[in-house]
Amino acid sequence: MASLPVALWELEEVTKRFGGVVANDRVSLRLFGGQIHGLLGENGSGKSTLIKTLCGAHQPDSGRILRGGQPVVLPDPIAARRAGIATVFQEFSLVPTLSVAENVYLGRLPLRRGHQVDWGRMREDARRVLATMAVTIDPGAVVGSLSVANQQLVEIAKALAADATMIVLDEPTAALGIEEIARLHALLRRLRDQGRAILYISHRLDEVVDLVDVVTILKNGRVSSPAEQSRIELSYIVQSMVGDVGEHYPKEHHATGEVLFRAQGLGTANRIRDVSFDVRRGEVFGLGGVLGSGRTEVARALFGMDRLDAGSMELRGMPFRPLGPPEAIRAGVALVPENRKADGLFFNFTGFPNISVASLSKLGPYLTIRLKTERQAGRGLVKDLDITPTAEERLVGTLSGGNQQKIVVARWLFADAELFVLDEPTQGIDIGAKIAVYRLLNRLTAAGKGVILISADHDELLAMSDRIGIMSHGRLVGIHLPRELNVTSLVRASTGAVPEKEVVA
Amino acid sequence: MKRFLATPFAGPLIALVVVATAVALTTNRFLEAGNLSNLVLQVSIIAIVAIGSSFVIFTGGIDLSPGSMIALLTMVFALTVKMGGLPLSAGVVVVLLLGTALGLVNGILTAYLRIPSFITTLAALSAFRGIAFMFNNGSPIFSVSPHLERLFYGKLLRVPLPLFYVVVLYAAAFWFLRNTAPGRAIYAVGGSANAARLSGINVRRVQLLAFLLAGLTAAIGAVLMAARLNSGSPNYGVGMELSAIAAAVIGGASLSGGRGNIVNTVLGALTIVIVQNGLNLNAVPTSAQNVVVGAIIVLAVGIDMWRAEIGQALSFLSNNKGESPARSTT
Repeated sequence: MASLPVALWELEEVTKRFGGVVANDRVSLRLFGGQIHGLLGENGSGKSTLIKTLCGAHQPDSGRILRGGQPVVLPDPIAARRAGIATVFQEFSLVPTLSVAENVYLGRLPLRRGHQVDWGRMREDARRVLATMAVTIDPGAVVGSLSVANQQLVEIAKALAADATMIVLDEPTAALGIEEIARLHALLRRLRDQGRAILYISHRLDEVVDLVDVVTILKNGRVSSPAEQSRIELSYIVQSMVGDVGEHYPKEHHATGEVLFRAQGLGTANRIRDVSFDVRRGEVFGLGGVLGSGRTEVARALFGMDRLDAGSMELRGMPFRPLGPPEAIRAGVALVPENRKADGLFFNFTGFPNISVASLSKLGPYLTIRLKTERQAGRGLVKDLDITPTAEERLVGTLSGGNQQKIVVARWLFADAELFVLDEPTQGIDIGAKIAVYRLLNRLTAAGKGVILISADHDELLAMSDRIGIMSHGRLVGIHLPRELNVTSLVRASTGAVPEKEVVA
Repeated sequence: MKRFLATPFAGPLIALVVVATAVALTTNRFLEAGNLSNLVLQVSIIAIVAIGSSFVIFTGGIDLSPGSMIALLTMVFALTVKMGGLPLSAGVVVVLLLGTALGLVNGILTAYLRIPSFITTLAALSAFRGIAFMFNNGSPIFSVSPHLERLFYGKLLRVPLPLFYVVVLYAAAFWFLRNTAPGRAIYAVGGSANAARLSGINVRRVQLLAFLLAGLTAAIGAVLMAARLNSGSPNYGVGMELSAIAAAVIGGASLSGGRGNIVNTVLGALTIVIVQNGLNLNAVPTSAQNVVVGAIIVLAVGIDMWRAEIGQALSFLSNNKGESPARSTT
């Protein structure tokens, strides 16, 4: 491999803080032409912040960005693009109603006589760029009519047409099928061989191992394994990403033998198939799998948001087939949604109305609300769950992430829910708040509730679950005890490979 | 003082006092007894219509139709009572039912057929007035009933009836929003329709309810409008929707939904009527008045949009630690 002595792009000791949180702590990264560089780390390890600094969206608090050894400042994304850095985010920056060619040359359409768009040349140029990528997409096609995979190729074509020397790809395969991934990888290898630098971010470790030439691994905002040192090997990578497991998980075991919920062969129009499992009282049933494997879709089915087109469910031994959230709630199911901000909280309310909202009928007869009843119930739950007492007066938007999450759980306790579905309950909250959420799991299970824990944080899933179901491509492919799994086998299983049973000491 | 500033009524009340003082300084006639009692009569209809407009705004929608609905309903009222020979009370019932039904149409189009409320009620604004012009060859109907004017100009315990209506209806609306589950649901839906759905609230039904109640309050406004002039006319209520929305927004209702206090809507209605009154007393032509009303609406919405910045500036000025100036009132 042609490693040049001077890096094409280099981040030198870059530090970025947000308020009191250090998102990147003296991170260095050297990117060479003709190399595919993997950037890995768990959620919250600082990958996104680093990419945003590199593409001009953030300014580093300290440290430098070097281009060919010379310091440069990238004040905004436009400057970064002009300097040759193209970023392909998960959310595409394409205009769906325009043609492929127009998108490729968006913002710098080729002109004729100074002000007329030269359509012929634009289409020709677009065709040539697509040809260098060896893909067959009609430059005249409307982007919105293309598949996600092809839209992504258009995004890459856009980068190539702008003569980008470095291409950053953030989770490019999250929405792709296996063949599409293979095609993308082939393309990236071709671009590498043309001498471009590629920075590749992905959660799917197995494919990263196949693709990249070097990896930098981040953990808690720092480089835990620099490129010169990293071995491109699954177990090494996982070890560097995760570090020592298990110290901050206050797991208690309360599982009983009594089955609370049972799903038999569930299928929905939303891509899930053959999902069978049961949840006992006092048990945390973990649902693992990569993004898009169908974990959230299982939660939707349970909560009556997607109709079942196959299979059946039972709650407390009774048939359970909710037609919508109201029925699911009445039956005693609670959903703590993945996106706390958009789907969980009412930012126009203080704490108590947020707690009572799912069971207003408990606050008084004939649709009335007795504010005194609400206040008493609210204070009780605030005390029970150790929520800050200021939640009574303050809008929930001003509370910490941990307190917000507890308020959503309090809502369901007030609604007398028995089966709690928690979708990514610790996403985006700090470690102290995470531990508070884990304690909350213990409280729920100690009270005989059943919990379904959906999490992309593999350590959390392994540490806090009593049993783990693994989702892959919409199917539940296996149920294991946590001690039969480790992070590596969990990742392997959820990406489609068969988990090897190994005992973790 | 600090405690007063922390109540949700502080902002709109201060705005009201400032506007009233400014008007009183420009003309002596503002504080004359005749003018003040006239003000009460003027504000009553706008204030009542604004209850419904506020409900819709609290859910995150908008209702542009009440002005036209009032024109249509005064025509129906005049026709049923004068030409149809129905007793006055029966005419009132017909109008209230019809207004609720028209609100239902707005609600179904918006909540169940998913057409944005801005569009459905803009269409209704056009269509309702169009229908109003289809009756009686598009001419007003005068002298509906000799007893009709009493509904507006009458007094109960020496209190002018319109004031009485306003107080009763606002008390009812306040109680409904504060002490009932559907009232709470209105705020929940406006705050986050997604979160409301996931909390088991039937979001569409709540949106429908808000439009239904908006139709009802517009119908009450129509009865009073007809009673005030003892007539029905397809030209009544022009611009009423704007005054009603302005009342809600000046009262601090957020157009993005979920925030606002109904009591403030009546303060907002008073403010906008006093502005119009002041312009009238100073002989400002109608054309310029319309421009002023437009400017006030933009300013009021702007204050809502710049809430965060204003809050920061205020807390910086008062150097008051921590307390957020914006608070939920439910």
